[in-house]
Amino acid sequence: MKKTAPLVLGMVFGAYALAEFYIPHHTVGALSDEFRSWAAILSAAAFILGGINILQVTWPKIRRREDDWPYKVVLLAGAAVMLVVGLPWHRLGAKTSTPTVVRGAPAAGDRAVVTFDVADDVTYQVGNVTGAGRGRPVAVEVAPGEVEVKLSKRIAGYRPLTTKLTLAAGDTITVRGAPPMLWGRDGRVFNWIYDHIFGPANATLFALLAFFVASAAFRAFRARSVEAGLLLGAAILMLIGRAPFGGAISSVFPDVAQWLLDVPSNGGRRAIMMGAAIGAIATGLRVIVGIERSHLGSD
Amino acid sequence: MRAIAVAMIVVVALVATAAAQPQAGSGRVIVDPSSGAVAPALGEPPPPVAQPPLPPPPPPPPPPAPALPRALAVGVAKADVRAPRNDDGRHLVVTFTRAVDVTAELATLIVRRHHGTPGAPPRYPELIDPARTPATWSPIFIGADGVAVGPIAPGDALGPWTVVALLQGGETDFTDQVEPGHDYEYVVAEVQLDHGVPVAASPADAIGPRRPEAAWIHTDRLGYLGIVLLISSFIVLYVYAARTKRDLYIRRLPGVDAIEDAIGRSTEMGRPVLYVTGLEDIQNIQTIASLLVLGHVAEKTAEYDTDLTVANYYPLTMVVAEEVVRQGYTNAGRPDAHRPEQCLFITAEQFAFAAGVSGIILRDRPATNIFLGCFYGESLLLAETGFVTGAVQIAGTAELTQLPFFITACDYTLIGEELYAASAYLTKDATLLAILKAADAFKIIAMVFILAGVILATGGWFDLADRVFP
Repeated sequence: MKKTAPLVLGMVFGAYALAEFYIPHHTVGALSDEFRSWAAILSAAAFILGGINILQVTWPKIRRREDDWPYKVVLLAGAAVMLVVGLPWHRLGAKTSTPTVVRGAPAAGDRAVVTFDVADDVTYQVGNVTGAGRGRPVAVEVAPGEVEVKLSKRIAGYRPLTTKLTLAAGDTITVRGAPPMLWGRDGRVFNWIYDHIFGPANATLFALLAFFVASAAFRAFRARSVEAGLLLGAAILMLIGRAPFGGAISSVFPDVAQWLLDVPSNGGRRAIMMGAAIGAIATGLRVIVGIERSHLGSD
Repeated sequence: MRAIAVAMIVVVALVATAAAQPQAGSGRVIVDPSSGAVAPALGEPPPPVAQPPLPPPPPPPPPPAPALPRALAVGVAKADVRAPRNDDGRHLVVTFTRAVDVTAELATLIVRRHHGTPGAPPRYPELIDPARTPATWSPIFIGADGVAVGPIAPGDALGPWTVVALLQGGETDFTDQVEPGHDYEYVVAEVQLDHGVPVAASPADAIGPRRPEAAWIHTDRLGYLGIVLLISSFIVLYVYAARTKRDLYIRRLPGVDAIEDAIGRSTEMGRPVLYVTGLEDIQNIQTIASLLVLGHVAEKTAEYDTDLTVANYYPLTMVVAEEVVRQGYTNAGRPDAHRPEQCLFITAEQFAFAAGVSGIILRDRPATNIFLGCFYGESLLLAETGFVTGAVQIAGTAELTQLPFFITACDYTLIGEELYAASAYLTKDATLLAILKAADAFKIIAMVFILAGVILATGGWFDLADRVFP
């Protein structure tokens, strides 16, 4: 039963997904969308299992002080920190969403004056006028009427403060406020960690790829057989044809390089693609029909 | 003395007359013809005090002269609305021809409303000129209070109508998304824009009612259905042949043959086997193919009593992989040797995953690395790290861009279809091998089809591909 039920469910849903490709009717599509939503929910719920798996695997290694156990501590600490800063704590308690607006004595003139008394890491916007705070009051002349005032931080992770003002000629208004910090995915701490730790580390690892390509190419281009010799010859032609000096030597090199890409390489790619597509269809059919069952686990 | 007294009386009377205010209805009045004011006649007592009539208020300033709808002489022609072919029942296609060239100030406005919308008077901003006959509509952009409508955009309501498109690129068709099962009316008109504000429009006829049509079969995909049916019929044929004991020849797959040797080598060296299921989720066919092979690998490692570590990019893949590995250990008769910690969820970030798996390779020094599934830019990072540790590496993917990296850095590479064939090849099960034969048979059909298509297209006789796969 433990194996039969998933098999039957797999057959039914697989056949339905296959049929949907040929039946465009919206009722069929609506049901498929529903199934996809279920899959998305299952996939999201599986991340909880993933977290448990990390704990199950990592904690015993720390406890037994296995090799490199301090790295496991860093892993768990990092995961815990991201979990904490990834929660939207700012939703707890009072929410500040508007700046403080103080109206002063009217002055002469046919324009209103809005003074921003904000820190130098805060940008302001009043109507179409934008500017940056300087740590001291900054006055902006504005045409009378209804305008939107917005205070934002220069950096991500803060909630902008906005309000609408109705200005008359001669009005003098002072706006103060500091955009509050956010938590969660859009929060300051999460963004800071992502931008200053994860991003550079990610880019570093990606950059290493250049050296791996160089070392792999060096090995691949050793002409120890006829095939490797052909590979080396094609690679040299491609290098010369694609480098600027290849065209400077002769226009033949770029043409040859392009021919290599367009004809032999493209032909081979298409052959692999078509073979893979047929293989994918056959694999899909044998899973849907239930001939292939090894992915279903034990009874 | 008498003369002096008469003179005083006259003076007093004159002064009194000058000071007195006229009052309607009291005695005789003298009407000043120029102003209409009344005054008591001389010798009459002054009338009671009363307020004069207030001057009429100044007339309100005339409303700003609205940009009256200048009718554009040239509108769209041959406008029509129809349900597209093979549709899911949520679309209507509006087609038309334009009689004038595209300019920056000219756009085609398409508005729609439900057919049978109650005929309430159009509200501001008013779209339809009610003075015109019902059959011919003239969009105007002047509200009820005479103020011109501002810039309009798709989604705006113009009375009972909804703006669905404002086409400024010279388009002559538009596919509108609608609710299935309702009738709709459309108006297509050319509009003159002034800084984005429509100021004039061409007359246009209402088109409709039209109802979207949901198709039950996608006729353009019948060619693909034919492929599936053809492969299915080959499968039935070859499965029948396999069950009647006919020998099925399958060419060798060195990469798959090497899996058992590599696991044996790991056993001899006392080092684990690392299996990576790729970077796609469980619904990807390459991941499924990888998990099918994982079952056999798990069975072999259980047989040889070798450690197996399975690195997963997604937790859902990890859950399925764990079940597959458990099944493999059960098949080998060693369910007790299975440990859930063998299947790891690393992370769902590409290069963090590469770093994690590289760390496993460098710390645990597996003697065999198997990379089967869908891989991207991290493929070379993994394969080169494994090469540095001297592991036997077997890779397989259908990702064309990563195949060169695997071929360069790994000992064996399953290219494209070989990845899908690996599971059936490993089982040696006649039914599964029959499916491989069916796929091979279809490849011959495909080659004949391609050859025929090339000949027919080169000769200019017939476009086979376009007819079968429109």
